[in-house]
Amino acid sequence: MATLQFREALRAAMTEEMERDDDIFLIGEEVAEYDGAYKVSKGMLDQFGSRRVIDSPISELGFAGLGIGAAMNGLRPIVEFMTFNFSFVAFDQVINNAPNMQYMSGGQFTVPIVFRGPNGAAGQLGATHSNSTEALYSTFPGLKVVAPSIPDDGKGLLKTAIRDDDPVVFLESELMYGMKDEVSDAEDYTIPIGSARVAREGDDVTLVAHSKSYHIAMDAADELEERGYEAEVIDPRTIKPLDIETIVESVVKTNRLVVIDESNPFASVASEVTHQVQDRAFDYLDAPILRVTAPDTPAPYAPNLMDAYMPGVDETVDKCLQVLYAK
Amino acid sequence: MATPIEMPKLSDTMEEGVLSAWLMDEGDQVSSGDILAQVETDKATMDLEAFDEGVLLKKVIGEGDSVPIGQLIAVIGEEGEDISDLLDEGDDDGAADAEAAVEDATEPEPEPEEEPAPEVDVADEPAGDGQLRERTPEPVPAGTDAEGRRIKASPLARRIAQEHDVDLARVDGSGPEGRIVRRDVEARIEEGEPAPPPEREERAPEPAPQPTAEAPTYELPDDEAPYASEDISQMRKTIARRLAQSKYSAPHFYLTVDIDVEDAVALREDLNELAEEQGRAKISFNDLITKSCALALKDHPYVNAAYLPDEGEIRKYNRVHMGIAVAIDEGLITPVVRDADRKGLTEIARETRELAERARSRDLEPEEFEGATFTTSNLGMFGIEEFTAIINPPNSAILAIGEIRDTPVVEDGEVVPGKRMKVTLSCDHRVVDGATGAQFLDSVRSYLEEPMNLLL
Repeated sequence: MATLQFREALRAAMTEEMERDDDIFLIGEEVAEYDGAYKVSKGMLDQFGSRRVIDSPISELGFAGLGIGAAMNGLRPIVEFMTFNFSFVAFDQVINNAPNMQYMSGGQFTVPIVFRGPNGAAGQLGATHSNSTEALYSTFPGLKVVAPSIPDDGKGLLKTAIRDDDPVVFLESELMYGMKDEVSDAEDYTIPIGSARVAREGDDVTLVAHSKSYHIAMDAADELEERGYEAEVIDPRTIKPLDIETIVESVVKTNRLVVIDESNPFASVASEVTHQVQDRAFDYLDAPILRVTAPDTPAPYAPNLMDAYMPGVDETVDKCLQVLYAK
Repeated sequence: MATPIEMPKLSDTMEEGVLSAWLMDEGDQVSSGDILAQVETDKATMDLEAFDEGVLLKKVIGEGDSVPIGQLIAVIGEEGEDISDLLDEGDDDGAADAEAAVEDATEPEPEPEEEPAPEVDVADEPAGDGQLRERTPEPVPAGTDAEGRRIKASPLARRIAQEHDVDLARVDGSGPEGRIVRRDVEARIEEGEPAPPPEREERAPEPAPQPTAEAPTYELPDDEAPYASEDISQMRKTIARRLAQSKYSAPHFYLTVDIDVEDAVALREDLNELAEEQGRAKISFNDLITKSCALALKDHPYVNAAYLPDEGEIRKYNRVHMGIAVAIDEGLITPVVRDADRKGLTEIARETRELAERARSRDLEPEEFEGATFTTSNLGMFGIEEFTAIINPPNSAILAIGEIRDTPVVEDGEVVPGKRMKVTLSCDHRVVDGATGAQFLDSVRSYLEEPMNLLL
């Protein structure tokens, strides 16, 4: 094991894969000469040269489409969006061409592409730069959506995403790039897409949370422990396909579920988890499923408002106590 | 607004009830929880509890009257209130079936102001706010109170209640707005519900059918009526319906075996000497049979089973709940000793005696006579050598137990005195074949002939 920052773990994943397979290339705004806006691709231009680490113009629609064309012709592009807020200008490529091509061509073309970059709010960035896109991209059949919460999962899942023959939306976070943790340096370390991680076991209440929210869930679980409740924390890691079995298994045990998802609440990942759990585990629920999400408003700019806007530990603990009928 | 009180459904099989005694008078102040009257169902005499506050304005039926469930029996409201509309309706639906009566009576008479007809809302409004509700339009006995109102309970609480035969109407909810949650049902079970029955299909409380030994009388004086008429009691109606249904839907066949009970009789004497010294419950011979059957059933799953054509399945129960037919004045009833395979003889003895006593005083709770997976009926005490019993549906078999008799037997070529007991197994051929039933009987015999195994 090595202790790496999240950005270093992602870089290790891309580097190892590019060393293994000459068809893989990285393209995006400032990924090469500037080492990436968040230094994820630091040093990769020096190692792989400008044929495989390519600075694009500021034209997401163009380079996302270029990536899809390259993928259809046998290459395996990694397309970095400086943030996923900018993926919206490439929307047609990401949601229409990438996921539908294999189906529309009767299987003649696959699109082995990874769209990656930071997702969600990250402090005072304003409403247009604070969007959470996981629910949005999960709604389109044909796209896989991955959103790891710890560096080790970041590495293992990004390697798997690069090797996957389907388009994968890989969601990172500005606020987590500097997060340090142990990362496997095992040779060929991969984590399968579609498998959740039970991060903490408990019998009293299940918390489901991905990406940044996962850390809120873990802190809330600590606080609940001080109050005498054992929370089980599940990080789905992959939003789509969703490992619902692991979640249902846990709810069957705990009879209670709180989903933490920093997205806006309407038709969110939390909504989907809630639906699937009530569908499969209705008779095991002892309380309504509650969600902790951002409110149904644009993200604010002022720091005090932003604090109130984002899901937090206190709110999570409070919702857990509600489903435990402890308040 | 006045509140109609209707004949509640107090047991799974109840279709009508007899108001056996009014405990309050017209004009009395009624509080929620007060006992208004006693109602005789097909199984037991039960209290009719008030769920509303007010004055008992009108007793619509008299003591001894029998009415279908859902029919108006009383009205509670404010002093001096005009209740003629309610009473008219009561007249109108007198002959209507129970469900129609429930609807007629509840629709135009919503609960007092603070409760704006909750059951109507729940049924009609799509629950788009994610609140836990069910939209069952028809009254579900397990989920409604005596007045047919929806009881708020979590899905898990409902499931546990169903598995343990707990009536949610008798559980207090500790969750928001009185929602019944897991801990409430568990507390209720803790308080004294018996161990859970295995399944929730319609239960068959009634037991074995035995030929009633009415001594015919030939001394009718000429000047008296040629016969006496008697109303058919609820219990007799249920016995008639259930056993007729059993006999025409389950093809019965019978297997009889003669068991050497010499050792078992001796063991029982030894155990009871000990029991007397130590002040424990005495063990009856029937308790040994109960335990033998329970152990044998574990090895013969098709005998501990039910043929359920509506569900398209044969249900093999994982647990063994022994129904034991008890004769009472009005007929008979089968209290259930649950998990008899896991209980010791003393516990079986104590429980059986206690249940039988309360059966005779018609004091059993529904969960105490429902959920048997197998039944025995013993007429040995009447000197019956052997007989055949009708299966207690949905069981797949019933054991009819004859007397223990002293009889000459041949042992090693010599005639010696022996103790024998004949038992006859009635089997439902849809589940139990001849060989299956015979193997089960052989197991029962082994346990009784080597009774030390019952102590293990």
